[in-house]
Amino acid sequence: MNLPPSSPRALAARCALALVAALAGLLGSCGGDAGAAQQTGKTFVYPIRSAGPGSLDPVRGSTTYDNQAVSLVYETLLQYKYLKRPLELEPLLCEAMPEVSEDGRVYTFRLKRGVLFHDDPCFEGGKGREMTAEDIVYSWKRLADKRIGTKNWWLVENTIAGFDAWREEQNAEGHEFDYAAPCEGLVVLDRYSLQVTLTEPVTRFLYVLAMFQLSVVPREAAELYDTGFSRHPVGTGPFTMREEDWLTSRSLDFHRSPVYRDERYPDEWMPEDEEHGRHLAAGQRLPIVDHVRVECFVQDQPMWLMFRTGKLDYAQIPAENYVDAIRKRTKTLKKSYRDEGITYHPVPLLDFIFRGFNMDDPVVGGYTEDRKKLRQAISLAIDLKEFNDTFYNSQNVVYDGPIPPKLAGHPPGGRSDKAYRGPQLERARKLLTEAGYPGGEGMPTIPYYTSLAANSSEQAEMMQRQLGQIGLKMQPILLEFPQLIQAIDKKKAMMFSFAWGSDYPDGENNLALFYGPNESPGSNHFNYKNEDFDRLYEQIRSMPPSPERDAIYTEMLEMLLEDVPYVGSMARTRNYLGTPWLKNFKPTEDFWNWPKYLDVDEALRP
Amino acid sequence: MWTYVARKLLYNIPVYLGIILFLMLALRVNDPAYAFLGKNAKPEDLLAIRAQLGLDQPFFMQYLEVLSFDFSIESWANKGLKVSDMLRASIVPSLSITLPALFLTSIISVSIAIISAYFRGRGVDRSLMVLAVVGMSVSFLVYIIFGQYWGAYLLTREGGIDAFAIGGFEPGLTHWRYYCLLPVLISVIVSMGYDTRFYRSVMVEESSRDYITTAVAKGAGKRKVMFVHMLKNAMIPIITRIMTTLPFLIMGSLLLEVYFNIPGMGRVLYKAIQEQDFPVIQSFVVIFAAFFILSNILTDVLYALVDPRVRLS
Repeated sequence: MNLPPSSPRALAARCALALVAALAGLLGSCGGDAGAAQQTGKTFVYPIRSAGPGSLDPVRGSTTYDNQAVSLVYETLLQYKYLKRPLELEPLLCEAMPEVSEDGRVYTFRLKRGVLFHDDPCFEGGKGREMTAEDIVYSWKRLADKRIGTKNWWLVENTIAGFDAWREEQNAEGHEFDYAAPCEGLVVLDRYSLQVTLTEPVTRFLYVLAMFQLSVVPREAAELYDTGFSRHPVGTGPFTMREEDWLTSRSLDFHRSPVYRDERYPDEWMPEDEEHGRHLAAGQRLPIVDHVRVECFVQDQPMWLMFRTGKLDYAQIPAENYVDAIRKRTKTLKKSYRDEGITYHPVPLLDFIFRGFNMDDPVVGGYTEDRKKLRQAISLAIDLKEFNDTFYNSQNVVYDGPIPPKLAGHPPGGRSDKAYRGPQLERARKLLTEAGYPGGEGMPTIPYYTSLAANSSEQAEMMQRQLGQIGLKMQPILLEFPQLIQAIDKKKAMMFSFAWGSDYPDGENNLALFYGPNESPGSNHFNYKNEDFDRLYEQIRSMPPSPERDAIYTEMLEMLLEDVPYVGSMARTRNYLGTPWLKNFKPTEDFWNWPKYLDVDEALRP
Repeated sequence: MWTYVARKLLYNIPVYLGIILFLMLALRVNDPAYAFLGKNAKPEDLLAIRAQLGLDQPFFMQYLEVLSFDFSIESWANKGLKVSDMLRASIVPSLSITLPALFLTSIISVSIAIISAYFRGRGVDRSLMVLAVVGMSVSFLVYIIFGQYWGAYLLTREGGIDAFAIGGFEPGLTHWRYYCLLPVLISVIVSMGYDTRFYRSVMVEESSRDYITTAVAKGAGKRKVMFVHMLKNAMIPIITRIMTTLPFLIMGSLLLEVYFNIPGMGRVLYKAIQEQDFPVIQSFVVIFAAFFILSNILTDVLYALVDPRVRLS
């Protein structure tokens, strides 16, 4: 129908057409229809600073490299919001966050419908079937299967009602492991609903659900491929990987899953994300790239040189290249790099680096006033800032207490007036005298156990010198990491150097390191035993985040600062650089499923 | 000749058994299961992993198990991957570097040594030896770091010529130049200094033998003396040097493989040591020991072939 250009009907028709075109354009930019996503021909290449993952079977994985690879193929019930800081959980395989009963023990999960496993010969006709609540239960029960030799049972140990007893029963000698046997705390309500009953309210449970070891796997694949399942992943994630695409110690190639459901780039972001244009991809269909290639590097030089020739889309700055790229004084990217369009992203880690004392040791351990004063004196003699400046390019965060920055319980500005933070040599000497060792006299040499890492020998020498300033002698004992753990587990190490990376972003994880029942060979390597502390820990374990809980964290922190079971603390910062063609890049090491959000402008790639 | 070979084989069997016994004891000084499982190790996990590799069996049974050469056991650190598969996948990349490097180094070094011996005491000889000493004085790592930086990185970034890979490996002759040539050249440069000096001293020693004087007295030309008389007699030390290198070819060149991201045996072993992957470490050690013994036997056989006096003795 031809209409005069100026008629109201023509105007209305033109407006309607424009609206339709705009909507079509918008939909197009969002990735198209609700069916299979369109191929973009984009490849994202990134490095792993190791020989790569050991296993792609979630329950067998434990390292950050396993996490990086598993998170591309598999999914968990919950995930962290990509752009939000501090970290926040959101549903991934669930429709919504779980409904929690009033007593905090019963969690009901409603699963998304239409979530498909990748196509694989393990399924009838080779077509991936729909994921159901049974798959969740099966995947979690695999953690209990000792035949798999999983290291990850601790994640759910003493957490789900009846699960520990179920595990013992199923693994009993002469008993055939039966996945179908019912477990009190794990109940499938219907095809898409699951109810989990906890032994007691445990706040960390939700964080555990976002950990890659609890990813959902199909029973068909796990049983058909058996141990080969480690190298033949079948998940629900945004990418698939064929066995032949994993060249051990070399590279892994992941391809967009053609059956991945309609998931979109987040529409919640932080103000700083707008500076980097990360918000512009909101609503875009995931994953954005078709192909992810992971290159493995045991040495930093080839990784760095490949990044500088544009063959990798991002890289961490190796320590020896830090001053090439970053102005040490201002901690900003050098102009030559900025001119190339390279972006700089410092990522503080949830780290707790410390020098621990064995509280059972007859010399430095114990809770009497003189023992406490001895440890306080040692703490006051050690200058962590000097360590930071000398060995970490001043990049580490030095703080009081065991709770890393960004988490509730971390003291304001990282400082607490209760802390015995060095260097305060006069005060240290006074406390040492009060402890019965004036000028260090009568104090035996302290054996200091540390691992044979890059500069641990030099670090030990620095500590030797710092302690020498108050008259204390220290003898470094450098061991391979397994021997170091063995010495600590057997309570042989009087003083030792160690680090803890938080499993989830809650200070409770770090406070658990001082909980009495966790003593060596558990995670309480200090063998710290304080009834008041333990009581408070049991209380906070079931408390949701709240000001009341934060106040208890502070109370617990002050107990530790007074008793000084360790000298600390420091958290590392990892420095990431992104190429100009890498879009939506917001690196974090707290979770690893973020390659699905990344985009690559292939036209800018050299 | 066959009796000689059989005798050598028989002599070496107890040597090999002794080496394996010693290595097995050395590998068990620290509990391998504990070392692998690390900080979250539980007693039940330790028992399970010990049982998986028969570490809970009496030592004699473990010894027999090792001597069965069954490499179909699974790696601890790479679940689902057999040690035999890891061996198969890593041997080609290793040999892609070490074999051409050995071949080129030997040819070039022997040639330079002959030239040096030919011009003994003159400017050419002195210059070549100074170069050899300079080459020997620089660490392998320096050659690798600078070779990679100049040869691969700067050439690509500043020169726009992507002739050599900074790292990586693709099998096949078509990819060999891009991925392997630079590491091979670095390896040749590093080894040449040592080899040239060694071969030159062999040549010089041979040149003062009586048979050389006889040949010269009979009127043989200098070239004929060098290439026909001297080179043939210098073969014993040359063979010794080359044969002692053979087992190391199989194990690859750790530094080159690590820096150039070549997934060879050296790198696999390095990774296994880092991860305390006991089945892989033990299997590699058993294989390496076997190659070492075999190359010794082969050396003896070659001696016998090139020098009849060895056979007669």
